[in-house]
Amino acid sequence: MNPSPQKLHIPVEHTKLANGLRVVASPDRSAPVVTVGVYYQIGFRLEPHGRSGFAHLFEHMMFQGSENAGKMEHIRLINSSGGLLNGTTNYDITNYFEAVPSNALERVLWLEADRMRALKVDDENLRNQRDVVKEEVRVNVMSQPYGGFPWLDLPPVAFRNWPNAHNFYGDFADLDAATLADVQQFFRTYYAPNNAVLLMLGDLDPSEAFSFAKRYFEDIPPGAPPPRADVTEPPQTEERRGEVEERLGPLPAIAIGYTLPRRETEDWYAAGILDRVLHGGRAGRVYRKLVLEEQIAVDADGHAEIFDTNGPTQMVTRIFHKPEFTSEGTVAVYDEVIEEIHRKGVAPEELDPVKVKFRSDYYSMLEGGMGSYMPRFGLMHYLACFTLFDGDPDRVNTILDGFLAVTPKQVQAAAQKYLVPHNRAVLVRRPVKVGGAQ
Amino acid sequence: MTSATSVSHQSSPPALAPERPVAWPKRTVRTLANGLQVVLAESRTFPRISAHLYFRSGNAVVAHSIPGLAEMTSAVIRTGTASRSSRQIEEDLRRMGAGLGTHAGADTSAISAAGLAEFSGGILELIADLARNASFPEDEFERERRQRHEELRIERTTPGFLASERLRRVLFGPHPYAVVAPTTEQVAAYRREELVEYYRRHYVPSDALLIVVGDFSADSMLGQIEKIFGEWKAPQPEPPESPAPPKASGRRVHLVRMPGNVQTQVLIGNLAITRRDPDWYRIVLANSIYGGAFHSRLVMNIREQKGYTYSPRSGINALRQYGYFTVSAAVRNEVVAATLTEMFYEMDRMRSIPVAAEELDSARNYLTGVFSLGVATQEGLLGQLSTVYLDRLPESYLETYRERIRALTADDVLAAARRHFDSANAQIVVVGDREQIADQAALFGPVTEYDAQGNVA
Repeated sequence: MNPSPQKLHIPVEHTKLANGLRVVASPDRSAPVVTVGVYYQIGFRLEPHGRSGFAHLFEHMMFQGSENAGKMEHIRLINSSGGLLNGTTNYDITNYFEAVPSNALERVLWLEADRMRALKVDDENLRNQRDVVKEEVRVNVMSQPYGGFPWLDLPPVAFRNWPNAHNFYGDFADLDAATLADVQQFFRTYYAPNNAVLLMLGDLDPSEAFSFAKRYFEDIPPGAPPPRADVTEPPQTEERRGEVEERLGPLPAIAIGYTLPRRETEDWYAAGILDRVLHGGRAGRVYRKLVLEEQIAVDADGHAEIFDTNGPTQMVTRIFHKPEFTSEGTVAVYDEVIEEIHRKGVAPEELDPVKVKFRSDYYSMLEGGMGSYMPRFGLMHYLACFTLFDGDPDRVNTILDGFLAVTPKQVQAAAQKYLVPHNRAVLVRRPVKVGGAQ
Repeated sequence: MTSATSVSHQSSPPALAPERPVAWPKRTVRTLANGLQVVLAESRTFPRISAHLYFRSGNAVVAHSIPGLAEMTSAVIRTGTASRSSRQIEEDLRRMGAGLGTHAGADTSAISAAGLAEFSGGILELIADLARNASFPEDEFERERRQRHEELRIERTTPGFLASERLRRVLFGPHPYAVVAPTTEQVAAYRREELVEYYRRHYVPSDALLIVVGDFSADSMLGQIEKIFGEWKAPQPEPPESPAPPKASGRRVHLVRMPGNVQTQVLIGNLAITRRDPDWYRIVLANSIYGGAFHSRLVMNIREQKGYTYSPRSGINALRQYGYFTVSAAVRNEVVAATLTEMFYEMDRMRSIPVAAEELDSARNYLTGVFSLGVATQEGLLGQLSTVYLDRLPESYLETYRERIRALTADDVLAAARRHFDSANAQIVVVGDREQIADQAALFGPVTEYDAQGNVA
């Protein structure tokens, strides 16, 4: 029996305010909760040259006080309304989001509008958050085995243009150099309504939600169109290799990144499916070969961040291999996996289930995607990316068709074109203590 | 540039609108003739289902004989059944758009899968196959054993793992909850027959629990489950008696050495209660005021005022037989003593001064609101249902949780803090560079030092 696939349709309504703020609503009244997000089109890739880590430090400052809500007021108001909040800094976007019972929708919008209008912070706030960010780097990178692997290690090896290749968390010297004037300047440059999208999902009536959006956001003055860093990479003509010390973990770790085709091109869809042929757990070819069959690695998987980046992006495989094998030999076995696809392609009997899993994972991402306490975080995230990068939030309903239509021939062609040495970087994280910390 | 409208903006936050009632998901609860309890909840926004099969025994029953055996057993289960090879299992999953997890904790072993609703029958059949017909292929067992060995070596370089491992040893002493992971030598000594025997004894339908959440109709799902799981029969063994954990007297410091570390993982804790204790709601509320939420006192103090840490938090860890309260933060090495001082100051403040009305109200709203968020996704709902049914809480737990929280007073919070935030006898674990932190830690009690392998140094 082969049941026919159900087609999911997400209701999406959108508008644009007079000041250029794009607004998207997606109602679902099955539970009395709403998820709200504001996404600004600025991320660590786009931060000013020489100011590594500033976009992320700035994200922390957005919780330190705005015109009518002082330090801790944002957090207190959301928590005491029964909600959760957070923000993250990504390559090309920075987001702020809340999940709350639906009776707090208007309050959340007031708060987000207040901090889009004016940031009210002082030197003490900046010193405090600089300290907090340094501890964040220490806990996530410097005192964890494989901390920052490979998202901080690989870009400097893979890319040549500073926006793509610098330390996204920030060098401590750059963090120390940040001033309050820099903070306000960055705010004026990138945090204007015309550089953002507001998203409202869940238990709401779209027309009422739009009128709230108008009430709270429309009188925020627009800014000059922000400058956009040139993120183009010079053509790559050789394989790139790098090595980094692993101070804590006992196993060598390898990251292999292939630069992907530009989003929304025909090749991009094929590469998205190719990624799932290679990766995606134990049925993926990389895990099967390296962990199950050859038993060189104890873990091997990967991922291509295809939806939420808007510039040079890699499909990255991560391999943790046993110390008795060499990293060179491990990469050679990995290369057999790639060469086999070059030579023989991928049969429909393999591709069809890959697509089923792709569809299922897409739905799963839409529903949750940020733990179970941020309902529809993934839907919000994709709506924001499709709005900011592609100008069309309704892509959330059609994007899947492009991936499901990819043919075996296209997958093989994409492998031959993109999975080649002069389009990749290989980074080895090598333990300083052979056999591990004892 | 001038804006299009000139309405002056509001300087104070709008009031909350009237609350919309939470429509608690309808549940279907049945116990099959073989003892398997089945809980179904429809959640139809996305065309997926999530199914978890739980057995009420885990690493605690083998902690003193073959530590970690339940976990190893669960890892090998997914690598073969009488009719499917390892590769077949993984390909079957992919064909149904499904992911699978097989895990064992202290009290529970679980087989969990989630995938497309259109394949719900196949997903349940696969879960049943793994639960009944696992074949424990020798070569797959050896491969998983080696992987576990390497994972353990990585865990022993992770500050958070080292801290929680030490705290559990200290708090639980002779009780099986003291053991959170085997040694690499113990993993090397596992025999295949031991896994098979664990599986035979503990993967049985009587006293097991199957929860399915997602896009289905409960009636037809129940029929399907009867067909797939109904024939399966085996008794559940009695759980062994366990010695009680020791009673702590006085603060003690346990320093785990991590030479050269740029940061210190601080973890303090004391024995507390389980979810079945009448004080449960009170301690949950007290914890959220103390350090269980972003706007809590601990976060305000050591993160937002002092900048010592990125990640301070407190929590109640409720295992089946005992619970324990923890406070943790990863801090820079110079402020270890200052951090401990503030953690205890805030505990003592909770124990001596009643919370003000506004803070109480805010914390109650936080807990009731977040509870509604937690049941708004399939995985969240499944998590809540598993808490209710695994811990055998009253059937009305979901529906009454919010009113129980709303009924609590400042006196309740004070009483819970006095009983369960045991500041005078809290055990203190610090993981880091002894040269930089030993003197600071010694201010808080007698110090015992350990290496990363858990040996007294």
